Amino acid sequence: MTATMTQCLLRLVEEDYTLADYQSDIAPRWCAGCGDSAILTAIQRLCREENLPPEKTVFVSGIGCSSRLPHYMNAYGFHGMHGRALPVAEGIKMRRPDLHVFVTTGDGDCCSIGAAHWIHAIRYNMNMTVLLHDNQVYGLTKNQASPTSPRGLQTNTTPRGACLEPLNPLSVTLGVANVSFVAQAVDWIPGLLYDIIAQAHRHRGLAFVRILQRCPEFMDHFYDDAVRDPTKTRILVHGDGLRLSPEVSRIYRNQEAHDPLDMARARALASLGDEIPVGVLYRDPSVPCYDDLRAGERPNTPDLIRTVLDEEFDKVTIWPQIGATPLGAE
Amino acid sequence: MAQASMPLARPTDTPDAPEAGSAPEAVALRPALFARYGALEQLRYDFPLVLVEDDGDGPVLQPLTQVMDAIVRQTAAPGPAGEALRQLVLRLEDAIRQRVAGGESDTLANLCRTCAADLLAASQEPPFGPTATNLDRAREALHVDGLVIDCDGATPKAVLAHAWKSVHAAKAKEFRKKIDGLILRLTDILKADFTRSDEAHTPAALESAIGASYGAAFDFHALSRVLSRGRAGEGLPKERERRIHWVLFVLRSQRFYGPGRSSERKPGQPEPHGFIFESCAAALDAFRERLPAVLEFVKALTIAELEIENKYRAELHDPVFERFDESDLSAEQLALLPASLVCLRDGRTDTAETVQAFEALASGLSIKVLIQTDDILGGTSPEPSRTAFGVGSARLAAMAMGLNSAYVFQASSAHLCRARERLIAGLRHDGPALFCVFSGAVETAPHVAPYLLAAAATESRAFPTFSYDPSAGPDWAARFDLTGNPQLTADWPLHRLEYQDQAMQRHGEEVAFSYIDFAACDRRYARFCQPGAEAEWGEDMVPASACLESTPEANGGRRPYVLTVGPDDELRRTVVDEKIIEAARRCNDAWRRLQELGGINNSHALRLLARERAVWEAEREREAPPPGAPEAAASAVPTVEPPAEAEVAEVAEPAAAGDGPWIEVSRCTTCNECTQINNRIFVYNDDMQAEIVDPDAGTYREMVEAAESCQVSIIHPGQPRNPDEPNLEDLIARAESFN
Ligand SMILES: Cc1ncc(C[n+]2csc(CCOP(=O)(O)OP(=O)(O)O)c2C)c(N)n1
Ligand code: SF4
Ligand code: SF4
Repeated sequence: MTATMTQCLLRLVEEDYTLADYQSDIAPRWCAGCGDSAILTAIQRLCREENLPPEKTVFVSGIGCSSRLPHYMNAYGFHGMHGRALPVAEGIKMRRPDLHVFVTTGDGDCCSIGAAHWIHAIRYNMNMTVLLHDNQVYGLTKNQASPTSPRGLQTNTTPRGACLEPLNPLSVTLGVANVSFVAQAVDWIPGLLYDIIAQAHRHRGLAFVRILQRCPEFMDHFYDDAVRDPTKTRILVHGDGLRLSPEVSRIYRNQEAHDPLDMARARALASLGDEIPVGVLYRDPSVPCYDDLRAGERPNTPDLIRTVLDEEFDKVTIWPQIGATPLGAE
Repeated sequence: MAQASMPLARPTDTPDAPEAGSAPEAVALRPALFARYGALEQLRYDFPLVLVEDDGDGPVLQPLTQVMDAIVRQTAAPGPAGEALRQLVLRLEDAIRQRVAGGESDTLANLCRTCAADLLAASQEPPFGPTATNLDRAREALHVDGLVIDCDGATPKAVLAHAWKSVHAAKAKEFRKKIDGLILRLTDILKADFTRSDEAHTPAALESAIGASYGAAFDFHALSRVLSRGRAGEGLPKERERRIHWVLFVLRSQRFYGPGRSSERKPGQPEPHGFIFESCAAALDAFRERLPAVLEFVKALTIAELEIENKYRAELHDPVFERFDESDLSAEQLALLPASLVCLRDGRTDTAETVQAFEALASGLSIKVLIQTDDILGGTSPEPSRTAFGVGSARLAAMAMGLNSAYVFQASSAHLCRARERLIAGLRHDGPALFCVFSGAVETAPHVAPYLLAAAATESRAFPTFSYDPSAGPDWAARFDLTGNPQLTADWPLHRLEYQDQAMQRHGEEVAFSYIDFAACDRRYARFCQPGAEAEWGEDMVPASACLESTPEANGGRRPYVLTVGPDDELRRTVVDEKIIEAARRCNDAWRRLQELGGINNSHALRLLARERAVWEAEREREAPPPGAPEAAASAVPTVEPPAEAEVAEVAEPAAAGDGPWIEVSRCTTCNECTQINNRIFVYNDDMQAEIVDPDAGTYREMVEAAESCQVSIIHPGQPRNPDEPNLEDLIARAESFN
């Protein structure tokens, strides 16, 4: 409403952020070659391009290598409990809808111990960006199988090879009521990684991005095939989804035009066996957001809270009756 | 004049004629098309009207019939099973209508209650009988409430004041949401600052924060020491704290809107300002008087918005707010504040008031002015009308469209409900608005119900419905809306009239409803009207609407007439004087101007169209292929664009810089492999992607190893730069696959 004047005055003090403005004093402690670094860079670039003020941006995570990301961002951060990044982020969003909320979580953090929160967060569809760093293994605790580990993977907890089929985070997410944005990215195509995270950030609702992330420490050469052979990656393009730069288009010629509103095709793509779909699988901006639905007519100011509480207490208050004879006085 | 004993030419489909007692004096004519609407209180139409109480999200105005229909839809089973309930609800509606017509003024809920009790008593059923049960069900389904009003002289003001209150309530809600949001965020800032203060870290403060239940489990002195030691940074600068306190004070003590729920019980809170005024002068005075408070409030609001963004910079912003005055107020800021409402009544308020209203409207301030008019015809004498500018109250709205920023709305009472969206849009408009409403309560036509006269004014183009919304777009097509008038493209709406002649034969004819029919209802015009019963009808008579296009001479002395009925419902051809025909021509002229504004029969467009058509036809003439020539069109099929592949192929492979080493920078994944091998050769750029800044800052071996460890294989080592480096042959071989 008063936008014009305030905006003019804000423009007086507008800052142009650089990447360094989002880098914290702590140097990342990830292994060399770890895909988490690529994701961190993509996020920092996004913050810079979108001019997100660091003091208006929050990164929430659980526990894991990936969950260390908030430490490396110069912004607000909450390095939470294992599996509990999403509920914390929801609380922040509820109370401070003006903040840009990002969640970084690992495949163990999200799909194992945090699975219940994950499902409900998708259903709540609150306005935030969720990045699932999926390296298909527990990295921080040094090589245990995660729910997304491929069958047969030998780890400390599965010395004879994982015996179950992995859980597919894309299919699971696409199956939850109120899902509004599902995308997949890979850490080794930085341009697309950036574009996909940017689209996720601009989406109104919960944007879920699964990022296939290399862990050279425990899953060395696991993605080599896909990294070396561009035909193994199927890029989903659409006027409403990804538009490729000529550079990417030249290398990745395996492309499919996919309408992000086409749920049936999105599900089929999610379970593609031999190729890795990269792009926006599903997007429906019309899905209502829990934070909007619950916003209420008036903000809970201290005055309002006091009034409502008083009203509630008054319902059970017994008011002394004026002029009544005290008990036992007759 | 013809007597009731005569054989009647009577419109068919006529409800019972009004009782003889109600028949007014000698000539009390009504247009023949009105014969059907003899006893209004027996018909279902827009009135009684419910002024729906809500805070602006609902329909604001709803005809009683709509409310009752909704109840029937909700409660009555389809088919015969629900018939009793349906009938009962209709009887309830009817009872309410009778009471309202009888002058009772009450809310819908109260009227429902009393009328239901009456119906129940009349049914003589024992308790809990079917009537009682059905009435209960019907009343349970009643979800709207508000005053129920009839159509009379008080209607325009009642409707407008009610709609204004609704819009005001909605605005108040928006306002409080915004202001409360700011208050919350600002108190959060102060609260966050407090929780880091010495005061908050005293053992006593910590103890009271934890509460009594777990108090024993803590050592608050120790906690206090730890917290005080670990505290980061300084608190809020004093100046900022003061500023926030001042802003909070101003926002909390504003008097533009009431506090709403959150502080109902605050004693000593000043009453909010009133915004309904008796005159435009009073409204303008109030505006001037409150201006300092407006300025202070807007200042506080803007500072609040800067503060919550943490973007208030004293050195930049202090001077701006010191200089802040009236000229800095923007429309957006003013739109947040309430609009004033002034209700004027033409003929009752001073002419000077009307002039002032136009000044107020031209001021651009958010003042909403109702000019109610009860007489659009004016006297029959040639002296200037009482209304300002001598234009007659029917033209005020058309004039006001010249005021640029003013929203203009015109409708008769009968159409208020149907045009409610535009009415409300005018009240919501961020700027002045004029509402011209004809009440239908014409003193000189007491024998016609105000609703009918009001409807007739719209129907006859004497008072068309229209709106002009200057904020709707840049041109007339976007701004001007003439819908809501019957048969928009016609000069006069045509209706079918059926009647019986003396020989009881049925007839039907198309009759125009024109300004003349409207004027004929008015006693003052009776002397220009000569009603004639069927026996007096002659060949030399023509329908008056047919005469409007031509001069009296061209009519060859034929007598123009309109069809009317008297109190006995006998059909008469009423011959009208040229004076009325003249007035009808002026009315038609005004209507055509409105049509043109609304894009109907627009003269510019028609001319352009005619010219273009002539050109087009001439061209077609010239270009017409000789008969039998082969179809040329087939070759003109549009070709499909070549696939995007072509475009992609144009992008050349990034050229290798001769024999030197290079990186496909944009594909770098920031993985740190190369930078860990040598961070003087490989350095991240502004996008955190590795570049080779100095190929000589290390060995060829390092270059090759970096290429090998780069998982996305984007490092190309090129040829060795130092021929003396050991093991070059081996390295060159390893580099091969990366070059
Ligand atoms: C409640 C709880 N249970 C178990 C752990 C141990 N733990 C720490 S990280 C982790 C798995 C992390 O895997 P993932 O989320 O995939 O992250 P990555 O390290 O692979 O990035 C586990 C099980 C813990 N910290 N807390
Ligand atoms: S263990 Fe794996 S996931 Fe963790 S930092 Fe190292 S490479 Fe990255
Ligand atoms: S090794 Fe390759 S991907 Fe990694 S930082 Fe160097 S150039 Fe980039």
